[in-house]
Amino acid sequence: MYPQPECHVVDLGMIEYQKSFDLQKKIVKKVIDGEVSDTLITCQHPHVITLSRMAKKENILVSQEELKKLGVGICWTDRGGDVTYHGPGQIVLYPIFDLKEDKKDLHIFLRNLEEVVIQALRNNFGLNAYRKGGLTGVWVGPYKVASIGIGVSHWVTYHGLSLNVRTDKKFYNLIKPCGLPNVKIASINDFFDDDVSLEIVRAMLLKSIQDVFGYHLS
Amino acid sequence: MIKIYLPELGENITKATVSYWYFEEGMSVVEGNDLVEMTTDKATFNVPAPCSGAIVEIMAHEGDVVEVGTVLATIEEETVENGSEEGEQEV
Repeated sequence: MYPQPECHVVDLGMIEYQKSFDLQKKIVKKVIDGEVSDTLITCQHPHVITLSRMAKKENILVSQEELKKLGVGICWTDRGGDVTYHGPGQIVLYPIFDLKEDKKDLHIFLRNLEEVVIQALRNNFGLNAYRKGGLTGVWVGPYKVASIGIGVSHWVTYHGLSLNVRTDKKFYNLIKPCGLPNVKIASINDFFDDDVSLEIVRAMLLKSIQDVFGYHLS
Repeated sequence: MIKIYLPELGENITKATVSYWYFEEGMSVVEGNDLVEMTTDKATFNVPAPCSGAIVEIMAHEGDVVEVGTVLATIEEETVENGSEEGEQEV
């Protein structure tokens, strides 16, 4: 039996988007240079709207003044996708994984990230989570619960996925999520009467990362 | 002259959009530098420089949608000077 590859997990708690991005870039370089093992960052962000280089500004539906009033920042970034929102109550995972020779496939990696969320929600919460053909992300019923956008350098991944656990969904009204029309957003807590904590969902996602990617987490 | 191709990015991915050039024509690059960011639906992929040298021509420009295997740019590879051998030839 082959030993499981090691993945170091770092929980940054609540952290500004830009700070976590700067840290990701440093870790990406170390993973490329073989100085550290694959790393998984987990965190939450204060209210922020992020845009990819290809994003259309008009997918932010309110003025900068309005965003400022609401305490919502804007960051341009180098992930795939269009525009998205991050905020308290949303778990963010940044997998910095070296896609070795036999795994050099962006499509499979994106599907695996979806699978992490799908398994976590199905196996632990009984939610019928699924992917939609032709789109990237995870849905429960008509609602999108997780968004995904990645970057890859030297076949080392960064950026990742966000899952709404108890997100204040009114902030999604500020944008056209992913640049897609009529996207309905939900949080895990919308499907239950009792509160589901971020800590529990985080633990389930880590278990799912182990199962889907075959890592030993440390 | 070294040609920079858009590599295979994975199953079902046949094309990508040039989203950002980190360098311009004429600029020097070091082997391994990220040269150009390519974007597929939900991923960006940085194509690295396969050698050190100068960018001669950029064929695929920002906003262009190109297929896997397309030449994105050419690099004139930096030659390693060998002073002693040249010196001997001169003598």
